[in-house]
Amino acid sequence: MITEEIETFSDTVEEEAPVEACTKCTACNTVCPVARSTEIFRGPKSLGPESERYRSHQETAVTAGLDLCSGCKLCEVTCPSQVTIQEYIRRAQSKGADEKGRTLRDWVLGHTRLLSTFGSLTAPLANLGNRNPLVRLLMEKVVGIHRNRPLPRYQWLTFERWMKRHPRPAQARRTVAYFYGCWVDFNERRLGEQVVAVLERNGIEVMIPKQQCCGIPAVVNANMKLARKYGAENVRRLNELPAGVDIIASSTSCGLMLKHDYAHLLEIEDAEKVGTRVYDICEYLWMLHEAGELDVDFQPVPMRLLYHAPCHLKSHGIGYPAMRLLRLIPGVQLEEVDEGCCGISGTFGMKVEKYDLSMKIGSRLFEAVKAAGRDSVLADCETCRMQVEHGTGARSAHPIDIVARAYGHR
Amino acid sequence: MKADVAVVGSGLAALVATRSLQKAGRNPVLIWPGLSSLYFVYATVDVLGYSDATSLQPVEHPGTGVAALIADHPDHPYARAGLDALGAGIALLMEWLEEAGFRWRGSLDRNLLLPTAIGTPKPSCLYPESMAAGDLGRDEPIVLCGFEGYEDFVPELAASNLSRSWGAGDQSVRAIRVSLPGFDSGKMFTSIDIARNLENDAFRREVAQQIRGKATRDGDHVRVGLPAVLGLTHDTDVYDRFQSELGHPIFEIPTLPPSVLGLRLFDRLRKHLQETGVEIIWAAPAHAAELSGGRCRRIHLKSAGREQPVEARAYILALEDAVDGAMRAGVRTIRDPFFHQTLAQSGVPTDRTDESLFKAQPFARVGYAVTDRLQPVGDDGRPLASNAFVAGGAIAGYDPAGTKSRGGLAIATGYRAAQEAMAA
Repeated sequence: MITEEIETFSDTVEEEAPVEACTKCTACNTVCPVARSTEIFRGPKSLGPESERYRSHQETAVTAGLDLCSGCKLCEVTCPSQVTIQEYIRRAQSKGADEKGRTLRDWVLGHTRLLSTFGSLTAPLANLGNRNPLVRLLMEKVVGIHRNRPLPRYQWLTFERWMKRHPRPAQARRTVAYFYGCWVDFNERRLGEQVVAVLERNGIEVMIPKQQCCGIPAVVNANMKLARKYGAENVRRLNELPAGVDIIASSTSCGLMLKHDYAHLLEIEDAEKVGTRVYDICEYLWMLHEAGELDVDFQPVPMRLLYHAPCHLKSHGIGYPAMRLLRLIPGVQLEEVDEGCCGISGTFGMKVEKYDLSMKIGSRLFEAVKAAGRDSVLADCETCRMQVEHGTGARSAHPIDIVARAYGHR
Repeated sequence: MKADVAVVGSGLAALVATRSLQKAGRNPVLIWPGLSSLYFVYATVDVLGYSDATSLQPVEHPGTGVAALIADHPDHPYARAGLDALGAGIALLMEWLEEAGFRWRGSLDRNLLLPTAIGTPKPSCLYPESMAAGDLGRDEPIVLCGFEGYEDFVPELAASNLSRSWGAGDQSVRAIRVSLPGFDSGKMFTSIDIARNLENDAFRREVAQQIRGKATRDGDHVRVGLPAVLGLTHDTDVYDRFQSELGHPIFEIPTLPPSVLGLRLFDRLRKHLQETGVEIIWAAPAHAAELSGGRCRRIHLKSAGREQPVEARAYILALEDAVDGAMRAGVRTIRDPFFHQTLAQSGVPTDRTDESLFKAQPFARVGYAVTDRLQPVGDDGRPLASNAFVAGGAIAGYDPAGTKSRGGLAIATGYRAAQEAMAA
């Protein structure tokens, strides 16, 4: 009789792990940087798969403490059963906000592009304000952004406008589309210039498709609807790119959204077609190198460097291409500082009630960086760099900064 | 990406294989699908505890035991890996542990009987120093100490079981409990939480003082057994200090997952590999092997957004077992993720298990059939690829849990697979 019943089940093995794939092994809780640093967080296992079993479309999704998940995804990296732990948490958190309403801060931090556009237009004033203790006190009281958290500097000339003036190379053997993201556009144009210089040096023309915020600030600030709107806009535009044009991202988290989260977390139509074309900049350069197409005529860069691998880079599942790439450059002394999450997790560490926690999570990394005393700490992710600089006083840069130097780009 | 040798897995077999390659001057890349069994079950390295899964008599001399096993069962994975690989692999591991900052003891010459969390004696031959004082070959009385509210170690149960099997004569076992400062009984906590707190000097001293008060009435020469929570890292500071604060020899007893002892091993060895230049690809479950001309040309990883091909000269498939995706079970079949071979088939899923928890489980023996060079074979008995090798728990035909041989087999096959990969 049992045999007959079983006949009705399919014998196929699910490719995507369902919530039942969680064996409750607790690996996620032991690696979770938040759970390691505070006892009030119940951990990814409890808030993800365990609570998920009790969630349904009809029932209220709110479980206390969901907002303490910083979204680093180390739980998913660690899970031996490939359960999408963090996705359960994010969906429930956003559903809770749909039902209970959002705070002003959720709105502000979810709309970073809007904020940055304004910040960039008023750059000198905005930067002055962001450094003014009185303004910061007000910001803390009204919006809930911690007064001690240094905010990114805005630049008046955006990368997009710089790129419009940038002369196109006379010859190119291929074209890539650059998803530069809000950070490069409004805060670190120089990084965008370096990416363009490095690619052009290798005979690759860079075009910039019209783009929206990747949506990750909205995802982590409980607004999946907004993230989906941004994502759908990007997917539509990126799918309009001519076939054969690869998409490059220089921000780890933007890249991960494009590659994976649009299709899986946000379930945006046709997003998989975008995901297969997206490469992290270092991943792309390494691929060129393996194909024998990378110009390795590097000038020596005599620097003692540390590399911090961002949590979201681990989620890419591509190893550490930046380290491989930098080891090709003569003079570079490179070591990995393997002390886990830096603690900032995008907008998480900016929040007034999470700032201290974010600094505590990063403390192991800070100590290791201070003890190592290197010229610069490299990280592919912009908020990791912000956090390392804030927590240690050390200089920090994107790995492309070193590659650009090795090509003589200033 | 291109690599010299690609090692897939994150357990002891994968680590030993990677380290062997690294020490031989090769350039391995380690591909991790997620945490492995190392994290959950390893506390000691067991080479051979029982000659077969039903035996009740522990093996005294694991080296001789394995030699006898090899003579009797030429198809056993130990026979295929060879006694030399076991010896060389263990030497490599012990040297590595020392270099990475661990204090481990033991050899192939003798199994120690060490108490488990339920008070049964378990034969092991390699163990961390922090467990050594639990040796049941010694006569000092034992006090087993549990913590109020911590349910993964019940000292009364362990003491009562242990006194039946061990302390029947002059030896004595007693259970005590102490409370952990700040840990309310209503709160849920794990060994990880306690271990983290014991790194704090004030917390640890307070716990030591409580234990001292309750343990000394058994005399000066008593030893104290505790669940394995003496610090989260491989650094033995917590153990040393606690022992001197307590004034008695102490020993750790492995607990239910998450195992702090396994975690210490895992975290440090992984980090040590990275420090010494081995690249690790995280979060990329291996998905398929591409074969042509009798060789494996590529394996495909499920990376974000797309499949990532890894092209290597040789491949070591060192996924441990069902825990880390070495096998995927459907309702009736169990398949492997690389070659999509059917490794086992059953009419009903219950055929894979025995109702009795204490009998040998059929599923434990499921895995890849391999050649004498540890190459996986197809239905026709021929290697699927001349440059792919299997190591660890995913090899068919033995029951690592029942014979207490998981660690030894991981080491022997991991080491041997690395030698074969270098020659391929």
